Amino acid sequence: MSSIDRRDFLKLVGAGGVGTGAGFMLRESIKHPTQHLIPYVIPPEEFSPGIATWYNTVCSMCSAGCGISVRTREGRAKKIEGNPAHPVSQGRLCVRGQAGLHTLYNPDRLTGPLLRAGEGKPGELIPITWDEGISQLAERLNVLRDDGQGNRICFLSKGVRGHLAELFELFVDQLGSSRLLHYDFAHPQTLYAAIDRLFGETHLPYYDLKNTRFLLSFGADYLGSWISPVHHGLGFGHSRQGRDGIRGRFVQIEPRMSLSGAAADEWIAANPGTEGILALGIGNYIVSQGGYQGSDREEWAASLAAYSVESVATQTGVPAATIARLAETFADTQPSLAIGGGAAGNYSNGVDTLVAVNALNYLVGNLGREGGLVFNPEPVVGRGANASQATYSTMLDLAQDARQGEIEILILNQTNPVFTLPEAAEFREALAEIPLIVSLSSFMDETTSMADLILPSHTYLESWGDDFPEPGVGFSVGAISQPVVSPLYDTRATGDIILGLARELGLTDALPWSDMEEYLQESWQGIYARGSTEAEGFEAFWTDVLKAGVWGETTRRVAPASVNASVIESVGVEAPVFSGSSDNYPFIFHPYLSNTLNDGRDANLPWMQEVPDPLTSVVYGSWVELNPTTASEMGLTEGDVVEVESPHGKVAAPVYVYPAIMPNVIAMPIGQGHDEYGRYANGRGVNPIQILSPQMESETGGLAWASTRVRLTPTGQRIDLVKTGGVSRDLGREIIQTTESDTDGGETASLHSIPITVIPT
Amino acid sequence: MQAERDISYADVNRDVVRSLVETGSKYYITLAISVSVMLACFFAPWFYQLQYGIGAAGMNHPTVWGTYLASFIFWIGLSHSGTLLSCVLHITNSSWRKAMYRSAEAMTLFSLMVAVTMVMVHLGRPWFIHWAVPYPNQMELWPNFRSPLMFDVMAITTYLTGSTIFIYMGTIPDFAAVRDRTTGWRHHMYVLLSLGWRGTDTEWHRLGWAYTFLAVLIIPLAVSVHSIVSWDFALSIVPALHQTIFAPYFVVGAIYSGTAGIVTVMFVLRKYMNFEHYITKLHFDNLGKLLLVLSLIWTYINVLEIFTGWYSGTSTEYEAIRYKLFGYYAPLYWEMILFCAVAPLLMISKRFRTSFVPMLILSIAINIGMYTERFLIVATSLSRQYLPDAWGIYVPSLVEISIMVGSLAMFVTLFLIFVKIFPSISIYEIKETLPEPEPKTQSESGAPEWQPTL
Amino acid sequence: MSFINDFLASWREYRRPGYYEKFDYAWTMSIDLDRCTGCEACVTACQAENNLPIVGEDEFAKGREMQWIRIERYWEGEYPNVKLGFIPMLCQHCDAAPCETVCPVSATYHNQDGLNAQIYNRCIGTRSCAVYCPYEVRYFNYNNHHWDAPLDEQLNPDVSVREKGVMEKCTFCIQRIRQAKDQAKDDGRRRVRDGEVQPACVQTCPAEALVFGDRNDAESQVSQSMNHPRAYHVLEELNTDPSVVYLKKVGSNAG
Ligand SMILES: Nc1nc2c(c(=O)[nH]1)N[C@H]1C(S)=C(S)[C@@H](COP(=O)(O)OP(=O)(O)OC[C@H]3O[C@@H](n4cnc5c(=O)[nH]c(N)nc54)[C@H](O)[C@@H]3O)O[C@H]1N2
Ligand SMILES: Nc1nc2c(c(=O)[nH]1)N[C@H]1C(S)=C(S)[C@@H](COP(=O)(O)OP(=O)(O)OC[C@H]3O[C@@H](n4cnc5c(=O)[nH]c(N)nc54)[C@H](O)[C@@H]3O)O[C@H]1N2
Ligand code: SF4
Ligand code: SF4
Ligand code: SF4
Ligand code: SF4
Ligand code: SF4
Repeated sequence: MSSIDRRDFLKLVGAGGVGTGAGFMLRESIKHPTQHLIPYVIPPEEFSPGIATWYNTVCSMCSAGCGISVRTREGRAKKIEGNPAHPVSQGRLCVRGQAGLHTLYNPDRLTGPLLRAGEGKPGELIPITWDEGISQLAERLNVLRDDGQGNRICFLSKGVRGHLAELFELFVDQLGSSRLLHYDFAHPQTLYAAIDRLFGETHLPYYDLKNTRFLLSFGADYLGSWISPVHHGLGFGHSRQGRDGIRGRFVQIEPRMSLSGAAADEWIAANPGTEGILALGIGNYIVSQGGYQGSDREEWAASLAAYSVESVATQTGVPAATIARLAETFADTQPSLAIGGGAAGNYSNGVDTLVAVNALNYLVGNLGREGGLVFNPEPVVGRGANASQATYSTMLDLAQDARQGEIEILILNQTNPVFTLPEAAEFREALAEIPLIVSLSSFMDETTSMADLILPSHTYLESWGDDFPEPGVGFSVGAISQPVVSPLYDTRATGDIILGLARELGLTDALPWSDMEEYLQESWQGIYARGSTEAEGFEAFWTDVLKAGVWGETTRRVAPASVNASVIESVGVEAPVFSGSSDNYPFIFHPYLSNTLNDGRDANLPWMQEVPDPLTSVVYGSWVELNPTTASEMGLTEGDVVEVESPHGKVAAPVYVYPAIMPNVIAMPIGQGHDEYGRYANGRGVNPIQILSPQMESETGGLAWASTRVRLTPTGQRIDLVKTGGVSRDLGREIIQTTESDTDGGETASLHSIPITVIPT
Repeated sequence: MQAERDISYADVNRDVVRSLVETGSKYYITLAISVSVMLACFFAPWFYQLQYGIGAAGMNHPTVWGTYLASFIFWIGLSHSGTLLSCVLHITNSSWRKAMYRSAEAMTLFSLMVAVTMVMVHLGRPWFIHWAVPYPNQMELWPNFRSPLMFDVMAITTYLTGSTIFIYMGTIPDFAAVRDRTTGWRHHMYVLLSLGWRGTDTEWHRLGWAYTFLAVLIIPLAVSVHSIVSWDFALSIVPALHQTIFAPYFVVGAIYSGTAGIVTVMFVLRKYMNFEHYITKLHFDNLGKLLLVLSLIWTYINVLEIFTGWYSGTSTEYEAIRYKLFGYYAPLYWEMILFCAVAPLLMISKRFRTSFVPMLILSIAINIGMYTERFLIVATSLSRQYLPDAWGIYVPSLVEISIMVGSLAMFVTLFLIFVKIFPSISIYEIKETLPEPEPKTQSESGAPEWQPTL
Repeated sequence: MSFINDFLASWREYRRPGYYEKFDYAWTMSIDLDRCTGCEACVTACQAENNLPIVGEDEFAKGREMQWIRIERYWEGEYPNVKLGFIPMLCQHCDAAPCETVCPVSATYHNQDGLNAQIYNRCIGTRSCAVYCPYEVRYFNYNNHHWDAPLDEQLNPDVSVREKGVMEKCTFCIQRIRQAKDQAKDDGRRRVRDGEVQPACVQTCPAEALVFGDRNDAESQVSQSMNHPRAYHVLEELNTDPSVVYLKKVGSNAG
């Protein structure tokens, strides 16, 4: 399969996508949605019954922004695949991307606007019309706006990019409010802060896994949950076996083996929170051994002096020899690449850690080159994904304001903070103080269940939108998200809801568009005007982008391959602070994002409930991972239910004895533990976020979600974990075979030459 | 054989005919119970399973076979001793066979019938079972003649046909005898059943010839049936199933459980049909000796199985054996060893062999053990095959257990019906063992040579 | 007797090695274990493409999951020197398939493209094929499955929905093969081009660990894989002659 770099990319754009897809064909059907809910007796012109139509659009199951092609038949979406022309996904998809159809066709979707009847929260939700919903909300908004009290309105969305984000900004601004917040549990805000401090960049760089020869990952589960798993998967595959005679090597440093740790050639457990210290130890070795010859060598040597290999070895628990070896390989194997994220970025010292990790790229000259760290151009649209992101402390402020009655109206867009904030934040209680909560969610969830008015949005497969992946792939890429089926229910695209409200509020000067599609067409004029297209005229350009499913510019930014001089002397990583005393709470708690359920938002998709967790094969529940030694010391075996108790709460789940976790760490997957998220999610497992201590990352104020200590109490109960795996040891049967030779050149295998027993003639 | 007390030809006629026509309330109660158990425990859950799917049973991935197949082999096995033993004893002129062979053969027939229903129960879509039968059809679709399951269909059909003819043929003179001593509808029924038997020399001659011919034919057939059943397993490449010893292992196991089954049935007949005079200590003694020999052969094969598994040194074979002996199902394995290898050693003592109740208990224990053997063959092997990550555990569901019990009730029901239609001990052959009531001149044509030797 | 000679002649012909090679295609999949990350995307892709049901927690707990491709995991060593390997397991489309010989009704058979095909309508549910398959990739419908509306709208109209009592398994996405062949025919070509058929699992695999194609075409990517020094068959010793070839994982020394 072809993989795409920016040279190939130009050829693909304009050449057309995989199918005959073009969303504009659907424009008519959108206007009369109910017509197409019936199987076609007389099919519309553009459909041939029995022949699939493919539409290119954008995956919204996570923030990676993969381009997808959706196969439809008779007006129904049948299958999602990666769009081969899109540089992020290159025709591939992750497990969650595949499950997008279960979002679209989920039986638990909200089917129309709902209003809470009667006073008080326990009131019943009754169906209303869109006109009623929009006008009632507009009325309430208008009162505050007219009074100059717009700031009592808060708009809280999941992370959104592109023109929808712009629309939110315009709208909230017009309301006279400054409270536009995006909130995602797993947003890499510490990485943003580290990149900003180190390079003065407000956007994340592109890590070129594909061309690297040695990857040192500090906690970043780049194949499972970190930033752009599909793209990283492509990079990983190519780096490993896509180049003649060169095989990329991967090292993963983390306290509990993740998907990326399993894929790595070497998995190293460093004491939790000391990943940055380890990076500095490696840096120290490189500098002190003469591996770095830059003009600021002395400054580096001075600031790294405290991180001698021996002292780092003591602090991290990684043997000095290993540190030296890693440092040597990292410096000698060019190009190499260091990345950091996941838990490593979410201790109290998260930003410092990530600064230390990324500084390694500078020390060995990985900046701005193929196989290293490449700076992305400025976003084509908007201020970038970090601009409105709420940190944990922002959310605490919001809760505080709510309690003090400063928030009159809260509009929620597809974000579920009641689930993704720890109990300690008391967010649920704060929400109860807000007089009017409006949710634009497509599903009932823990936060939406507290709403007074629900104006349900379309799913991404029914709406117009666009997306500009961030971090990009080293050059600017954008894609239009187009509806692939007519809406199933009486829902509306989020953009159209906002535009409807704007009309009702008389904001047509600032937001003059009748619908999202018109808004996009107008805004994309600006992109057309950038000139990076061969299309003749905007109409042709628009059609081309829809067909190809992607637009892009191939110019790469020339960025200085240097770091802020001021950073060097301040480089240093404090020891991590964990909440809870180690006497009372002997274990460090390692919650991790599920490969399948993300931060819990995919727990309502039956496919995601039923696909085995890659590392444990467990389905349909939560579990607590324990090192075999720890488990046997405590007399625990698989299925023993234990209580995991932090200073801020406790949850109970069965034990899974996990061979690759540090003895003093216990891990739990995030994602289960819903009680208001539909039939597939409710009542399964527990939500480990609940018991997290409100420990914050010292610089960003983000939740240091890897900084909680816990203790374990066996409950004496047992349950059978539901999983596929029998015995995960191969008992000498050589099922997975390995070879020492990295490259070709050995003897050619001759399979299919084993004779079937021949009966002599 | 000499009956214990002096009995005359008339006594035999009277006793046997009485067992057919005089039906007490005990019989009806027993029949009612067994019919209701059959309906409630077999047909009701089966009906539910037909509606719901095989999921009503406990089978899963990777243990896709379970008690239904175990029951199938069990019943096929039980079917073995009857006709086979009868044939062997017939051609070896063992006179003690005469009192018991009819009900033993009936056992064969009914176990085969129950076995066939177990196949129906086992199938995912039994309503299409006829697709496994070669019949000319418009689609020109034929079954797969390479399949050991196909061999099964053939072998069992042949064995069922052969056994049916064998038992029926052997009963014709008795039907005639009963015909002459009954009235009313029974008489009409036996007129039909006896096919106009008059007892002429030619008739006796032909019967004898045909009977011996069939007996000789059925012996290899019976051996082949269970060999073929064993191939359902042995022709796979599943560790611990893919074994050359399986065919003899199954045949021996079949005869073993069948013989034990005969002991049980003999006991019941003797006790409840008042055949104390015909079924005697001698029978139990002889059957006991046979059982003892069989148990030793069976034990020997089991030891061989363990040895070859251990000696093979391959992870798969070794693990399969280890799992059988010490894994999840180990308690069942040791129960089987106790019942089928250890306890039967008691029969070394003649006193034990000639005690009715202990022999009954032992014979039941042997069959419990033999059922366990079949269950373990399926459950332990399938749950531990080549890919350890796909291993699993299988526990039978309530539906399965109920059907297992129900199938026993079905067997009992069939048997209860049988004893009221078929003379359950052979009238004419018993008579042959008695002193003749009066000197009788030989017919002119001379006695057929075969007859006096019977 | 001539018919016996005829029979023996065709029997010999049938058992001749390479019997299947005389057909147009020999569809083959290669799986590079050095690339596979165990991400499970292929599992869900297959479920979406092939109308695999959601069995629910209770049935799953009983061991009745329906996933034509699954990821097996094998651990090696003990903490801290512990490694985890993943191996995607799907029907190997064995050329000497044990499952085919045992099926009494020929519901599972070898088609002329070298696929181990399964005729759902013909299956009577003996489950013997699942016993005979050493790779344990045959999945049985223990009951009728049900899709909560409107999840059923997603069902692929090119693939049938199976009823209770029927065995099923990976088909190498035969519907896609058919489509590609039809396309080739429409285009006036005799053969399908390499890469033109992509089963759902192959299509989605982010690490590009899976490659599908025709090994009769010496130029195809799978042919290269077959001849790769890292190529091997799982359970080769069983002589099932699989059409799925694995490429060994490269186990490097630490550091
Ligand atoms: N969804 C679905 N589609 C199917 C099928 C299915 O089962 N399901 N079945 C398929 C099959 S097997 C078939 S045969 C086709 C049938 O498909 P068509 O051939 O389209 O059959 P009809 O709809 O029965 O009739 C065609 C038209 O002929 C008109 N007509 C009736 N009598 C006459 C006459 O004397 N002269 C003229 N000129 N017109 C007349 C009728 O009014 C009707 O408008 O459908 C196929 N399509
Ligand atoms: N009332 C009425 N009667 C008609 C006609 C009409 O229009 N109306 N049209 C006439 C015409 S033109 C025709 S061709 C005939 C068609 O008559 P039939 O051949 O009876 O057609 P159907 O009822 O469409 O389908 C028959 C059965 O096949 C099943 N089936 C579907 N797919 C498969 C499969 O893959 N394998 C198997 N084994 N079964 C499958 C369906 O579930 C259905 O039960 O009817 C004729 N009779
Ligand atoms: S990584 Fe997966 S979920 Fe995220 S956008 Fe890509 S396909 Fe969708
Ligand atoms: S999609 Fe590819 S990388 Fe992921 S588990 Fe499947 S084969 Fe492996
Ligand atoms: S892998 Fe199993 S199901 Fe597939 S062809 Fe081989 S034996 Fe048959
Ligand atoms: S389950 Fe179906 S396909 Fe498998 S052997 Fe039985 S009839 Fe054949
Ligand atoms: S080839 Fe098709 S049917 Fe087979 S596992 Fe892959 S997606 Fe499933």
